[in-house]
Amino acid sequence: MLIALPDGSRREIAGDIARIEDILKQLCINPEEVIVAKNGRIVSEEETAGGSDELKIVRFVHGG
Amino acid sequence: MLSDAEKKRYSRQIRLFGEDGQERLLRTSVFIAGAGGLGSVISLYMAAAGFGKIRIVDCDTVELSNLNRQILHGNADVGRAKAKSAYESLTGINPEIEVEALVETISEENIDQLLQGCDIIMDAMDNFPVRYLLNRAALQRKIPLFHGAISGYQGQATTIIPGKTACLACIFPRAPPASVFPALGSTCGVIGSIQVTEAVKYVTGAGKLLENRLLFWDGLNGCLDEMACERNSACRECSDGEY
Repeated sequence: MLIALPDGSRREIAGDIARIEDILKQLCINPEEVIVAKNGRIVSEEETAGGSDELKIVRFVHGG
Repeated sequence: MLSDAEKKRYSRQIRLFGEDGQERLLRTSVFIAGAGGLGSVISLYMAAAGFGKIRIVDCDTVELSNLNRQILHGNADVGRAKAKSAYESLTGINPEIEVEALVETISEENIDQLLQGCDIIMDAMDNFPVRYLLNRAALQRKIPLFHGAISGYQGQATTIIPGKTACLACIFPRAPPASVFPALGSTCGVIGSIQVTEAVKYVTGAGKLLENRLLFWDGLNGCLDEMACERNSACRECSDGEY
């Protein structure tokens, strides 16, 4: 699984299908600060990802 | 029917969407939540474009540290209510539209009254709790919400059409932790301008809206990106079948 991280770097992670919540935990990313797209579509942390999925993790902002 | 002065004032954009489009803008009543960084850009461009009625709401006073980005306000406005300064700037740029500038804190108690008569909502807030109020009010009234947010070089925008697109709570089910955010005026310029462009397109019926798409601006790397989103069947705000 290919993961694009909020800092713009990319990481390849091998392994079983996992919940996105757990993937974020593994990457030490606070789920309250990001949204995650799986194969281009925003998904909730309860979804799972693995195999050939591509995840993109983006830090969203709140200022105005 | 446009007056001769209006035909002249709006001539460059009448080339885009015709007199009919301009008349639609003039008939549109806009609610702008906030007169800060995003609110400055949004309100100035909407006033200049001839949105006929603008109601802008902000509870704060102008501080020196606002002036790097909040271009509605000038040095002489420090210490004055942002709403008052906004009123002067907006009527100064276009005296032919109606501007209402209110010193109010947007809350659950007053949001219905504040939105009375408004056709569209522009999100220029600096926090998610009030954004969720705007989202709920947009859903209840079935009027669009044009979302934007910034921090530093980064920003995001999307267009929420009740009953058709994901709502704000579908995309952002929980608010990020509150924090003092860095702010660059030009980032407000990029995101606020996108929000106004969306509103113009919505009102005139031109182009393709940012529906079910969340647009990201990364100014540091000069990149625009987008993510697809969809209505969440378990959304706490829009999934009860009412919307």
